[in-house]
Amino acid sequence: MIDVLIGAMVWSNLLVLLALGLTMTYITTGVPNFAQASFAIVGSYIALTLLRLIGLNPYLSIPVTFILGGILGLSTYYIALKPLIKRKASIEMLMIATLAWDLILFGIIGAYSEVLSAITKKTETLFVFTSLDFNIYGIPGRLIVSSLLVLLTILGLYLLLYKTKFGIALRASMENPSLAEAMGINVENTRLFSWFLSGALACMAGSVLPYLQEIVPQTGYFIVVSIFAASIVGGLYHIVGALVGGYIIGISESLFTYILSILLGPGVLVYSKVISLLMMIATVLLHPRGITGTEMWRRVERWLNL
Amino acid sequence: MIKVEKLNSGYGKLQILFDIDLEVPRGEITTIVGPNGSGKSTFLKSLFGLTDIFSGRITYQGKDITYIPPHEKTKMGISYLPQTNNVFTNLTVRENLRIAGYILNGEELEERINFALEVFPELRGILDRKAGSLSGGQRQMLAMATALVRKTKILMLDEPTAQLSPKLAQVIFDKIVELRDNYDITPLLVEQNAKRALEISDVGYMFVSGRVAYGGSAESLLNHEKFQSYFLGVVGIEEC
Repeated sequence: MIDVLIGAMVWSNLLVLLALGLTMTYITTGVPNFAQASFAIVGSYIALTLLRLIGLNPYLSIPVTFILGGILGLSTYYIALKPLIKRKASIEMLMIATLAWDLILFGIIGAYSEVLSAITKKTETLFVFTSLDFNIYGIPGRLIVSSLLVLLTILGLYLLLYKTKFGIALRASMENPSLAEAMGINVENTRLFSWFLSGALACMAGSVLPYLQEIVPQTGYFIVVSIFAASIVGGLYHIVGALVGGYIIGISESLFTYILSILLGPGVLVYSKVISLLMMIATVLLHPRGITGTEMWRRVERWLNL
Repeated sequence: MIKVEKLNSGYGKLQILFDIDLEVPRGEITTIVGPNGSGKSTFLKSLFGLTDIFSGRITYQGKDITYIPPHEKTKMGISYLPQTNNVFTNLTVRENLRIAGYILNGEELEERINFALEVFPELRGILDRKAGSLSGGQRQMLAMATALVRKTKILMLDEPTAQLSPKLAQVIFDKIVELRDNYDITPLLVEQNAKRALEISDVGYMFVSGRVAYGGSAESLLNHEKFQSYFLGVVGIEEC
């Protein structure tokens, strides 16, 4: 049971990082990024490459995956979205563009895994980092590192958004881009920043993901449902929604599946994503703005003076 | 200060304004009145660069600004306050004032915020409140204060007294006069509260169906038969 709880916490931490990026780009650009999960798998392969080629521990490769992930996020915006936004493409067109970009990334990841296999003379289309993990007093490294990453990200985002001029401009642009522009803010810069951060956080999460589960080039397709569910259940219009949704979906997915597997047999385990899907559908039907869009949440915010 | 010549504009392929000729003199309050759908708000948006301009010319202090983007116009001292969503509701009053001076450096920004708070002392006690929790009057004052922070020379206000009580509307009108008299700001208003707005104005224009139906001194517009027929109900609209 304790292993299930640890797994649930690690998965929740990674979902928070992945959903944060999805929510930020949705708020600033107005488009749900279907390639968000593939960003994470790119991060996994960057960590694998650094491990195989220069022997760098995947945890130590996190700063590199963060920066390269940021560049991937920016490339997505510049190549797949900006030309369409300039031509005033509809939201549906932009969504299809991210879907197409996801397919391109999937193809690149697949081809790259074959190239890496040829270089290292090992099969790199399926890998895990579990044997490389460390333990401190019985607490696995993946739990410590993923929790630290979430804490650092939240602290960094809080300081940025509430204590810096650029951060206030970012919040202003998220709420009302046309008014922000009227204030002299270059809204485009805030969009670029959100895409950089989205890619960076996703790739960073991706470099920890192989400590939790096997990675194959298609892994993105399995986890994308959970990322969207986390953002939508928490609330796509509020950054804190990613935090709330990430933990709700991550813990529910792991624990409910575990309980159902005890009651109905291990065959249930392959249907773990159904739980996320059901929660996402229920949210869309009952309260499309998610938990952070409820009156109760607003009361909590007022009470906390947020 | 602002001169508009033969302006044709709208949204996409939909034309709203037709051959607008208009002048906003420096140091005077100019008010545009007209029935709903006459294109008053679209005109302010066109001046600020938020619509599609099909033809015509807009000059500001002699410089052609027809196709200059909004954030550049802000730097030139042109401010536009929409009727709604004119403050950031998720930011505090203090943050709204800070963000209004985004283009200013630290010291200058503090000076401008202090100046705005001198003009609107009502905001001093609520600096840490979120703008979303303010009353309509407080929000309108905050919106005007943000314009002061960013060194506004011409302030375009879209129905600043909409949904305010007559008493609060009077406070806002008094502030507009104060901006003109004491701070060398040129207000350009669009108002449904037409009679009261023209009473404090120097220049008045009346728009009907996207065209200028009348332009002249505010006093002459107040006494013009077209104005009286539309706003004071002396004769029916159809007769006009």
